[in-house]
Order: sequence, then C-alpha cells, then structure tokens
Amino acid sequence: MNAEDRVTGKPKASRDPRASRQRLLWRFRILRLVRPSRVSDDSPAGDDSAVRRRLGFSFWLAVVWLLIMAFVAVCAPLLPMADPTKVAFSGPREPPSLDAWFGTDALGRDVFSRTMYGARISLAVGGFAIVFGMVVGGSLGIVAGYFRGRLDQAVGFVFFVLLSFPALVLAILITATFERSMLVVSLTIGILAVAPVGLLSRASTLVFAEREFVAAARVLGARNGRIIVRELLPNVVIPMGALTLLGMAVAVVAEGSLAFLGLSVAGEDAISWGKMIVDGAGLRDLQNATHVTMFPVAVMFVTVLSLNFAGDRIREYFDVKELAF
Amino acid sequence: MAGTGHAQLRDRDDVLLRIKDLVVQFPAGRRRVVHAVSEVSFDVAEGETLGIVGESGCGKSTVARAIIRLVDITAGEVVYEGRDLAGLEGEDLRKVRPRLQMIFQDPISSLNPRRRVRDVIAEGLAVWGDDIGSWSRDRIDELMDAVGVEARYGARRPHEFSGGQCQRIGIARALALDPKVLICDEPVSALDVSIQAQILNLLKDMKRRYGLTVLFISHDLSVVKNVSDRIVVMYLGKVCEIGSTAEIYSHPAHPYTRALLASIPEPAPTVDAEEGDIGDELPSATDPPSGCRFHTRCPRATDVCRDVEPVTEQIGDIDHFVACHHPVAVEVRTG
Amino acid sequence: MVEQASAPAPLLSVRDLHVRFPTERGAVNAVNGVSFDLYEGKTLAIVGESGSGKSVTAKTLMNLLPRTAQVSGEVTYDGQDVRALAAAGTKHFFGVQMTMVFQDPMTSLNPVKRVGEQIAETLRYHLGRSRSEALEEAEELLEVVGMPEPARRVSQYPHELSGGLRQRVVIAMALACQPRLLIADEPTTAVDVTVQKHLLDLLDRLRRDRGMSMILITHDLGVAHGRADDVAVMYAGRVVETADARTLFFDMRHPYTEALLRSIPRIDDPVHHRLDPIPGRPPELIDPPEACAFAPRCIYAQGDCLGGVPELSGLVGLHRFACLHPTGTERGMAAMSANRAAGVTAAGLPVADSGGGG
Repeated sequence: MNAEDRVTGKPKASRDPRASRQRLLWRFRILRLVRPSRVSDDSPAGDDSAVRRRLGFSFWLAVVWLLIMAFVAVCAPLLPMADPTKVAFSGPREPPSLDAWFGTDALGRDVFSRTMYGARISLAVGGFAIVFGMVVGGSLGIVAGYFRGRLDQAVGFVFFVLLSFPALVLAILITATFERSMLVVSLTIGILAVAPVGLLSRASTLVFAEREFVAAARVLGARNGRIIVRELLPNVVIPMGALTLLGMAVAVVAEGSLAFLGLSVAGEDAISWGKMIVDGAGLRDLQNATHVTMFPVAVMFVTVLSLNFAGDRIREYFDVKELAF
Repeated sequence: MAGTGHAQLRDRDDVLLRIKDLVVQFPAGRRRVVHAVSEVSFDVAEGETLGIVGESGCGKSTVARAIIRLVDITAGEVVYEGRDLAGLEGEDLRKVRPRLQMIFQDPISSLNPRRRVRDVIAEGLAVWGDDIGSWSRDRIDELMDAVGVEARYGARRPHEFSGGQCQRIGIARALALDPKVLICDEPVSALDVSIQAQILNLLKDMKRRYGLTVLFISHDLSVVKNVSDRIVVMYLGKVCEIGSTAEIYSHPAHPYTRALLASIPEPAPTVDAEEGDIGDELPSATDPPSGCRFHTRCPRATDVCRDVEPVTEQIGDIDHFVACHHPVAVEVRTG
Repeated sequence: MVEQASAPAPLLSVRDLHVRFPTERGAVNAVNGVSFDLYEGKTLAIVGESGSGKSVTAKTLMNLLPRTAQVSGEVTYDGQDVRALAAAGTKHFFGVQMTMVFQDPMTSLNPVKRVGEQIAETLRYHLGRSRSEALEEAEELLEVVGMPEPARRVSQYPHELSGGLRQRVVIAMALACQPRLLIADEPTTAVDVTVQKHLLDLLDRLRRDRGMSMILITHDLGVAHGRADDVAVMYAGRVVETADARTLFFDMRHPYTEALLRSIPRIDDPVHHRLDPIPGRPPELIDPPEACAFAPRCIYAQGDCLGGVPELSGLVGLHRFACLHPTGTERGMAAMSANRAAGVTAAGLPVADSGGGG
C-alpha cells in the first residue's frame, strides 16, 4: 500500500486507519523533502556543495552523446568525411563497409557523412525553435503573470488560440506560403512552442509574484521592468530552462514529421534526419537497403532519448532545489 | 469600534503620518466586497512606535500595506509630511517610496532565493542610482554590521541563512535607503522563541541609531507591549481602542481588548479569565455586522450596539480613546 | 542508572529514546536519549524550539515516522511494548488507546468528506458501529467538543469551517474511541489567541472529565505554564530539564530554561523592557560534538561542559536537569562569577562583567 500511496501521491481516504496513517506519513515525507535545511537550523557556515544533489551517471552519458552530436554538427565541414552531396561515391545502396560506415543511399551518397551533416539542420531547427518559444512565450508569460488584468486576458486568449489551432494545419499553412528556408521551418516549430512555454512561465510568475520579495522590491521603489528582470526572471528562468532540453527533443521530432510531409527545409544541400528517413522510406529501400533509414533513425532516436533523459533529470534536480525554499 | 471617529487624531506639529478614514475593500466575486479596512483613523508622531494589534482578519496588515501602497486604497487619506499618499501615482509615488520601508513576516519568502544577500541589501541603492560605487560598498558593510550579519557572508544566498538571519538581512535592506518610517508586519512571529528577542532588540537599536518612526503590527500582545509607545487595537477592519501602551494595558476599556488580554496563556492581571470567552466565530468580512462590528461576540452588547456604530471618545483627558457604547467602567483619571 | 521515585506504574514510560534520520549531509540526530514518565490523568508539556526534537518524539510514540528513521529505546504503554505493537501492525491501538492532534487540522481531515462522516468512519472501523449509530455518535462528539450547532455541522465540509472549529472536529475524532492518552502537537499554534484559549480550555476539560493523560507539545512557554502538571524542556534532541510546572518556571536549574524564560516578552513586563536574548543560534544536529549542546550559548559554560554531554540527573518524576553548573546553585554561581571575571565563557562567548557578578 505504501508504494501505491507514493505513486498516486494522494491516497484516497479509506476507512483503514493504516491508510490515514500512511497519508500522514506521506505528508511528513514531503515536509522533510521540502525543507531539508530546517532539520538543523542551517548555519551560514553550512557547505553549499554538501546539499547539492547528484545527477547520476546516465545523465552524464546522455550529456556526452549530446556534446558529441553538437560538436559534429558544428564542425562537420572540417571533419575528414566524404562529401554528403556527392553522388555515386561508391555505387548506390551499398551496405555498410569500412569505406562507407553506414553504407550508401539510392543515389550512392555516403549515409554516415549525411547523418553527421543532418545533425546540423535537425539540431539547429530544434534549438532555434525552442529558443524562439522560450523568448517569446516566456516573456509573454512573465508579463501576463506579473501585470495580470486585461493584458493577462489578452495574452491568455492568444495562447489558447494557438493551442486550439491544429498544429499540422498551421505548419502546412506557413511552410506552403513562405519559402521553406531553415528560418521559416524553425519559426514554424517555434511558434507552436510559444503557447505551452508561455503558460508555464505565466504559472511560475504567478507563484513568485505573490512572494514578499517582489513586494519588497516595489517598496524600495523599483520600477516594473526592474522587478521583472531582477526579481522574477531569475526565478522563472530556472524551471523554464530545465525544460529546454525536453522542448528541443519535441522540436527535433517535429522537424522529422514535417520532413515526412515534404515540408522541411528545401534544397538538396539541406540535409536533415527527417529528410534522410523520407529518402530511404521507399518500399524498395526498406526491403533491400534498410541501412539507409536505420542509421538516421537510430541517431535521431538516441539523440531525442538523450535530450529527454537529460532534460528530465535537470527538471527533477531543479524542482527539488526549488522546493527547498 | 468597532467604530469610526477622529477624536484620537492629535493636533501636533510632530505628527509624521496621519491616516484618516482609511477604507480598503477587495472584490470577492459575485459583486461582493471584503471590507478589509473600514474608516480607520490614527496618527503617528515622529520617533514614536505605534503598535497595531488584533487577530487575523482584523485588517492590521492591510492597513500597513495600504499605507505603503502595496494594496489599493478605496477611500481615505494617508498623509505623510503633509502629502496625501493615497492620491499619488507613478513617478510621484515612486519618489516617496524610500521614505517608508517595510519588514515582512516571512523572512524566507521576503528574500529572493536567486540573489546574493549583498545584492539584496544593496537593491535600494541600486534602484536609486548608487550602483556598486565604493560609497555604497561601505554603506552595505556598515548595514550588515549594524544588523549583525558578517559582511564576509555577503556572497551567499538566502537559503544558506537561518530564519533569524534572513530577518536581519530584510532589516538591512529596508534601512539601506535611510527611511523615516519603518513598517514591521509581524516581524518575529515566524521566528523561534529564542531568536525573537534578538530581533526585537535589534529593531529597538536600529530605531535609535537611525531615528526611525515605527509601525509595529503583531498579533502578540506581549511583543507589542514590549516595543510600542502607543497602541491601536483593531477588530474586523475597525479601530476599537487607541492609547498609550501603559494606559491600554493597565486600564483596557474596550470589551474586545479585555478579551484579548484575558485569552493569552498567562493573562494580564487587569482582566478576569472569563472575559476571554467570546466564542470562536469571527463574522464574515464580506457581510460585517451592523452597528458595532463586535456586538455579535460582545458580552456587554445591547440593542444600541446592533444599530448604532460607536465613535471614538476620549477617556478623561488622557491619551486613551475607545469606540464602545459600554466601555468597561474605568475611573476617570486626569493626566 | 535511574531509580524509580514513586510506587504507581506510569501509563506511558519512555526510556533512552534515540531517533536518527539519514540524510545526504549525514545522519540528523533528532532525538538523543529521551526518557520520561507520564502518569494517568496528568498533562506533560514538552517544550522546545524548532529542531529540539519535541515533535519527532511525539511522532515516534505514535509510530508516524518515515521508514528511513532509525529508532532505538523503549516505549512502554500500560505494560505493553509500543514499538513491538507497531512492528506487529496491531490494529485498534494507535488511534484508540493513544491518539494525536496536529497543528494543522487539515493534516487529519479529508477535504472532500463531510466532517460527520469522517468521525463516523473512525467509530465504524475501530468500534464496529453501524453507519447510523456512528453518525449519531459523531454528532454527540461534536457537541462534547463545544461545536456550535452540531446537528448542522455534521454535514459540512472542512473548508466551510474556521480554523478553530476544524481543530474541534479533529479533537472530536481523536476522542471518538475514548483514548487514555492524547498527544497534542502544537494544537493551537495556527489559531488566534481567543480561539487558542477556547481550545486549551476544551482539552483541559476533556482530560479532567475523561481521566485522560495528555502530552502537550508546544514552543510556547506560557501555554506550558498554564496547562501542564509537568514540563520537559528539550534542546538539541535531549530533555535538558524536567520538573513539575511550578518548580520549572520558578526554581529552574538549567541555564537554557532560565535564558528562554528571560528572553520572551511578558505581558506584565514594563513597556520598552530590554529583553535578554539568547546569543547565537540552535546547534547543528548532524555530527554534534560530545559536549553540552547549549554550552556555546550559555553564560555559565565551563571547561567541563565541553568535555562531555551532561547526564539528566535526579530521580524520575522529580526535578531533573542535565547541567554541571546549574543556575541557582553554588556551582552555578561560581561558574557565572568566574566567567564574568574572565569576560568570556569557556566556549568563547563574551560575558559582560555586570554589577550582579561576584
């Protein structure tokens, strides 16, 4: 029963007094979690690092993978790899070999080199999209949460419109109307990220705006802008920042989905994991040359998994820290 | 009062802050309003410590926050050095802010967890333009020393300090701008017993050192008595009794003041223990009782209390004003 | 080590109770060898500040600690080993023989259930009452705890009640099974003074009417003074002084008790009375030094105070204190004079050489 209680968080009140005892227990456990420093009235001599929680080995494994991918994406042209656009490098649909580690695709291009180059667009689109969502959604959310009133209602309305509008339709609309440059594709995904990020930042702003240090800043004569930047932003950025990696994972997958619809970044030079998968998704390729799709899928899968995993650990890490006050 | 009236306002030159007929109402949904503060009047002379005491829901914190314009004033005046703060907006309001500072109840919540305590204390100076110059560096060191937080801990963040030390940091922050008026909203009620005395003594020292006028809000009658020159007793948004501390505690005239004094664990000798039996139920502030707001719980209430709101009246010619139709008979003394 | 002072067996007897919580910073020694007796019909107040271990002690008695807690020591209730009962998962003991009221009534109340149902549930589970019987009895219990209009209240939800009334519901729930021991953990800390008085009066009356024993956990010395027969003062997980209330408040021996009483403002002190604060702050509970925990803040501290933890001396049930230089004794006076003359205690605390010294 104990395990159940912990999972559901709020055990239903049963007539079993053990359940109510568990409920109390559960509360105490939370209390202890929330205020670890109160157990012993903390002295300023208390060592900060001692309280710091560990992120764990698997977190660092994920981070190492992400760093490698980022390095490859940035330095791809400098690395000793085959030209990813060069046709008939050694013949079409070659299986993996020492020359071409991941084999070649239907046009005889090196899949390994294409996968590495693909990281450029996939990660850039993912990263740019989430940064756009954070900046636009985050600021709208903070401003709405701090000022409340009409402004809040207006921003809230925009968020709900964005959330209610079918994402795919919006994406198709934008990419069909404008030239499918990397910027446009990133913006499309970024716009879709605005509302969820905005709602999150609004919610955490509401919590912090109630805290007395905001009142104290106003009493000192700080202007609204200063209160938002100095008092609210540092607190709201933490939970949002912890979500960056999770959001990026979603954005990378979104780029893949757009590519599947033929709506990712246009041009032969623009290689992305999504487009590579589409390239190899013909029935013949899937039957005879699985490696053409398998390798980009695998790299994308591991990358998204790493993003999710690292993101989730960071979120947990900061949530607990957050509750410590 | 639970009543209204201005008898308690003094016509003296050294009155620094005069609150007249202050009304604060909050919307409570469905076109109802919470009558948090209703026509409250009192004044504070320069260098005085005025204690505001009452139970939760009496409006004492709202009065403090209205004076400092953290909540909107529905009606009434808050006159500071001849200017009505109630009417000020924007830059005009911001410019008087440094003169009136506040210390909050929850020392942890009142400090930004993401900022270093030195920056927290320096915030006022930073806002008003004295950025990290050497002058302000000395000033911060001096303040930290004055409130008893070692300057070498300035780079730490609030969660590394205990509640008592966080409150000291909050006091230093409030003093950085050299205010005239310091409003303390339950400054010790979140602290451990052995730490309360440290903070109360510190506040007294700071008052002397920086020539402050203090508004001290608390539910704890012993604490208020310890620090205050004069006292306002509030109930459900109204003033019950105002007077010099010694007078209020030795000759409480309002039945509510007496009930408070009789309810504390070691009751004051001036009242009988039974006077504390006034029932558990605080009437709703959205629909306060007619006449005297205390009549629903008052052992001395009569018909007139239900219909007519009492007005503050002076007792004899001393510093003691009570808003009650049936004040507990105290022999009229002359001061 | 300790002899029994009087003949009748205590209802509750605690011996050498230790509670440790492992944390990432090291083990927190929350309770370090607490012993006390509680006799039938008496009230024992356990007084201390946050971190003194008073609440942890209470939760240990009620078997409410998290699983990570490491507990040792003996708890005997009416001849039964309470910790063994807890380990065996005995039904109808906690909540029946022994019950607890918390500071926040919402800890014990279910926000989505009518208060009558909640009281009735306890009766049905522990005493096997039928639904209608239990509801009737719930209403009676609400009347016993002085709830205005009990017939209407049974069908109200907790959020419809004020804090004081909620606490009355919790007390009614606690009384449902006629417990012999009620543990009240800061029962009035969250309520206003006028309500506090009513609740304490109620607990007093119930204890007398029903011959219950009570453990009153509080940080408020005033509450302990007015409401308890015996008082135990806790500091850093230890009982540092215990005695009947009168002796403790007027003839205390432990410097912490004395300092605490001096530091709080009292209603009969003159206006602007200068308070005598306790210097420093409460000690760390992780890796505490083998010394008197109060020594760094104590104006009596001598070299031997830093050499080991003083034992709680004296007979159980009489005035006991854990101090080598107790206040109000010759040893204490000598220690104080020596410190004043030196201007500093053995623990390095500066002492003003005021006129009162020798």
